[in-house]
Amino acid sequence: MVEIQNLTKYYGNKAALKNVSFTVNENEVLGFLGPNGAGKSTTLNIMAGVIPSTSGTVTIEGYDIAQQPVKAKRCIGFLPEIPPVYPDMKVKEYLRFVAGLKGVPAAKRSTEVARVMERLKIADVQGRLIRNLSKGYKQRVGFAQALIGDPPVLILDEPTVGLDPTQLMEVRNLILDLRHNHTIILSSHILGEINAVCDRVVVINHGEIKADDTLERLEESIESGTVLRLTVQGSSREVPRVARAVEGVVRVSNVQFVRTGVYSYDVEIDADSTRNALLSALLQHGLEVLEVTTEKKNLEQVFVKLVNQPEKRTNLKDLLDEIDADAAAEMEAAEKELEAPRAETSEAVEESAASAQTEANADDSAEEEEEE
Amino acid sequence: MFALYKKELQSFFLSPIAYFVIAFFMATFSLTLIMDISNVTSSTYEFSFASIFYVNLFYFVILLPLLTMRAFSEERKNGTETLLLSSPLNVTQIVMAKFLATATVLLILLATTLIYPIITTIYGRVIWSSLICTYIGFFMFGLVCVAVGILISSLTETPLIAIIVSELAMLLLLLTDNMSATAFLSSIPVLSDLLDWLSNETKFDIFSQGLIQLSDLFGYVTEIVVFLAWTIISVEKRRWSRR
Repeated sequence: MVEIQNLTKYYGNKAALKNVSFTVNENEVLGFLGPNGAGKSTTLNIMAGVIPSTSGTVTIEGYDIAQQPVKAKRCIGFLPEIPPVYPDMKVKEYLRFVAGLKGVPAAKRSTEVARVMERLKIADVQGRLIRNLSKGYKQRVGFAQALIGDPPVLILDEPTVGLDPTQLMEVRNLILDLRHNHTIILSSHILGEINAVCDRVVVINHGEIKADDTLERLEESIESGTVLRLTVQGSSREVPRVARAVEGVVRVSNVQFVRTGVYSYDVEIDADSTRNALLSALLQHGLEVLEVTTEKKNLEQVFVKLVNQPEKRTNLKDLLDEIDADAAAEMEAAEKELEAPRAETSEAVEESAASAQTEANADDSAEEEEEE
Repeated sequence: MFALYKKELQSFFLSPIAYFVIAFFMATFSLTLIMDISNVTSSTYEFSFASIFYVNLFYFVILLPLLTMRAFSEERKNGTETLLLSSPLNVTQIVMAKFLATATVLLILLATTLIYPIITTIYGRVIWSSLICTYIGFFMFGLVCVAVGILISSLTETPLIAIIVSELAMLLLLLTDNMSATAFLSSIPVLSDLLDWLSNETKFDIFSQGLIQLSDLFGYVTEIVVFLAWTIISVEKRRWSRR
């Protein structure tokens, strides 16, 4: 169990962390998410006792990292951003050294090193100089180092950087395996990774916690709607009009030009059954649907939103609504942009915008129907 | 702490640095010895190991930073400093492990030079009591230099800068008695006495005459303690400002 309370860190006058508090429960995998420079590594370094905090406390398994550093550090396995390996040492030699450094009794060191090498599948490179290893292997040696002594708390700063897809899967499986008897804090800016292994997510940006929620709740809110990406041949104004008329269509957004007479649209629908209704409505209006792909609203959108918003601690549901509102506004802006030049070319330049639009509308659809 | 000491010592001998430093010191030592022998004029063939060591103080000062340059700057460059700082060791233990490992290399270096007095004993007469004092003096002086070198390596990330600055600092500490002998400074007795007391050359001089003065021993130990404490503070300070 790890408790972080009101952690604040100043570098000179610049605040890197402002009142960060969260708790990691026993046997939980916590994803620590944030863009580069958000304060992820700073927080993890403070937790591992590498750097002191300006104020606030970190308690690891009941030991305060500042008051009882030796006891607290014995409970931690830390993998920093750059794997802390000595290029001049051989893998096995290095792991033995780490075992000694962490106070593993001399008699148990060999078995401990063998166990860790087995876990990370690095036994085949045990006799090689670390200098000559590839980045993925170095990363795994760094990971192995964190596991030595079997500490109950693992702090992993971007553990999968530099791994190839197979190694990535292995490390993911390892983390999933370790969660049974470890408390794991894992930082990353790769969302898929967090998605794959974490129970809970803490999002941090500019040194402040933006969200702290379980993955289930996050997913719940995400699965509320399905977004269809349609590529349709036809007027860029008629398609949204037709689509909106269909029951179950929540909104149409992100109109993009593909080629002359062909545009792509993001159509959000509330249920899968709406899709057929939508497609038949479009076909009935003589609009040829060239391509349909399904996009789920993903973590990435939530992440971007969380990172860009100025306020602190917002419910994820609210955030998703906000994303919708933003997208709608964008859509309107895009529509206006598309309409503006056409309105000018039409004869009714001096007329009010509304009538100009309707006229242009009529002109356009007429033209396009002729083409077809 | 022993694990770190062992690893430090190992890393000196895993890379060519320790071999190079020892070999280079042996070369300068041997050369000065040969020159001393060839310059002997009296019929009784006399030369003093103390004077050979005295000459070699200066080569030694140029050479020793090669051993200490990597102490902290390399850890920082490799990113292994985080490993040490997140381990159950505290900063004092880390600094002491590094200091003791370098001191051990220094001991090995001095032990290799013993070969000449031993050969000389076989064919002539060596005043061992006096020579042992010289060795003690040289070793203590070496420890001061090691402490200075480790301190400077904790201040910079570039080994080359660590080397040059350490050499300057060690030379300065060696030659403060020459400064105190200048006309201006010798006119201020307090200052010249102080500089004279600080000078490692003066202290070594006493040792090389076969005398162990408590004040000199105390002087060396003070310097070592001050520089090591300074290193600990500098590493701690960096912990506060690092990202």
